[in-house]
Amino acid sequence: MRTKFVFFAALLVPLLAGCGLKIPSDPEGTLDRVSGGTLRAGISHNPPWTETGTGTGPTSTGPEPAATGSGPTSTGTESAGTGAKPAGTGIAPGGTEAELVRAFAAEHNARVEWVSGGESNLVRQLERGELDLVVGGLTKDSPWSKHAALTRPYLETSNAQGDKEQHVMAARMGENAFLVELERFLSEEIR
Amino acid sequence: MTARFGRTELPEDLERVLRKAVRLQWTTLAVLAVSVTLVFLTMGNSQAMKAAWIEDMLSFAPPLAFLIAVRIVNKPPSEGYPYGYHRATGVGHLVAAVALCAMGAFLLIDSGMGLLKGEHPPIGSVELLGQTVWLGWLMMAVMALTAVPPVILGRIKIRLAKDLHNKVLYADADMNKADWMTAVGTILGVAGIGIGLWWADAAAALFIAASILHDGWKNMHGAVTDLMDTRAMTFDDGKPHPLIERVDDYLRGLPWVESAGSRVRDQGQVFHVEAFVVPRDQLPPLEALEAARDGCIDLDWKIQDLVMVPVAELPAEVGGQRQHQSERSL
Repeated sequence: MRTKFVFFAALLVPLLAGCGLKIPSDPEGTLDRVSGGTLRAGISHNPPWTETGTGTGPTSTGPEPAATGSGPTSTGTESAGTGAKPAGTGIAPGGTEAELVRAFAAEHNARVEWVSGGESNLVRQLERGELDLVVGGLTKDSPWSKHAALTRPYLETSNAQGDKEQHVMAARMGENAFLVELERFLSEEIR
Repeated sequence: MTARFGRTELPEDLERVLRKAVRLQWTTLAVLAVSVTLVFLTMGNSQAMKAAWIEDMLSFAPPLAFLIAVRIVNKPPSEGYPYGYHRATGVGHLVAAVALCAMGAFLLIDSGMGLLKGEHPPIGSVELLGQTVWLGWLMMAVMALTAVPPVILGRIKIRLAKDLHNKVLYADADMNKADWMTAVGTILGVAGIGIGLWWADAAAALFIAASILHDGWKNMHGAVTDLMDTRAMTFDDGKPHPLIERVDDYLRGLPWVESAGSRVRDQGQVFHVEAFVVPRDQLPPLEALEAARDGCIDLDWKIQDLVMVPVAELPAEVGGQRQHQSERSL
């Protein structure tokens, strides 16, 4: 009798999933809002992964220097999927992870709104829901794992000391549809 | 291993039951090992999965306590341990119960804090055969898979526990039987995250924590009362053990006995009986006392250690007059 109930309950969940509910989904609807809209990306300077518009990196596209001195963070927007032509306020972040974020946004017809700053500031904004993701050469053993949803490592490298570094991006806690979508994108992009 | 409890030789059919119980406990350990591994691999950031994993880890304790105790109580009484080693079972029971209580309380606080702080659990994906699969699906699959075997094992063990009069085995079986609730709770919690209810996971974990704490409390109560030498109860602590009545009735039925009453304590699987008897006129010959003792022991395998005390008046605890007690008051 009880055993039957277990089987029943175990069957029920996938059945519910079949009825049009998207699983997993975002409590705050991040993926739905980003698709066809704006991806708010936090970026902290950490070459070669991320370069906040200094114009010296190999993949950087912005010729103008980053705005400095006006506060802890600065913003700029660029249109979806251009990559080469920044249309914002003079910040054109570069680096491999910035490129990945641009490609991810392009896949979802989204513009990227860049916010540059220090990691701790960006993670705090991510927690408050003011950002959708943060990049900055983050690794799996980052101290932010209690405050941000780190993606599954998409790339493994060795640093100068020969330690393994597993590279991740940070999404907002609990936005699981967005997180899974980002992970899927990264694994397909890097393959 | 000869199946005995101290000096108590088990009847043949019970020896078979004991062997079966030992086999089942090894099976339980194997099932748990698989379950713990699978849950650990898919645990991710789910608080409910963490709670279920801790419960699985704790479930190792009762079968281990049983298997160890069965070996220890096998030893006959010695000068240093004149009552034998039967209490090993009770000690194991208490240790397991305290562990359950502590972990239950910890998880209750941990999950409650998560809920209060509004922590949104992130559950990402894994790559499976080249496909990106949400980890939540794997969690639910693992929980559905690990839900069934303990329930079956529990139902078999509960019958053996009754025959063997083993409370550790009973407590273990009772926990196994309720294990499916943990699995269903976890599945619902993870499914809740899946449809965007961030609190479902912590709520499920709270439910599991409460059930662990409940198990722990129930077991601790049972273990402590047994170590306190309460009157012997049936294996599920439901009612006083009928053997007490049978011993008293047997003694009262003897021609030389005026009245009789016994203190019976549960040593784990066998009873320790102190029988007070009031002789009718004068003390009977030693042979009659010996015969009465053997008669009691023949009533049931659980009675082996029986001390008979001829007294002028029954102590109050076993139905005598109020002013007369087994502990002499000055």
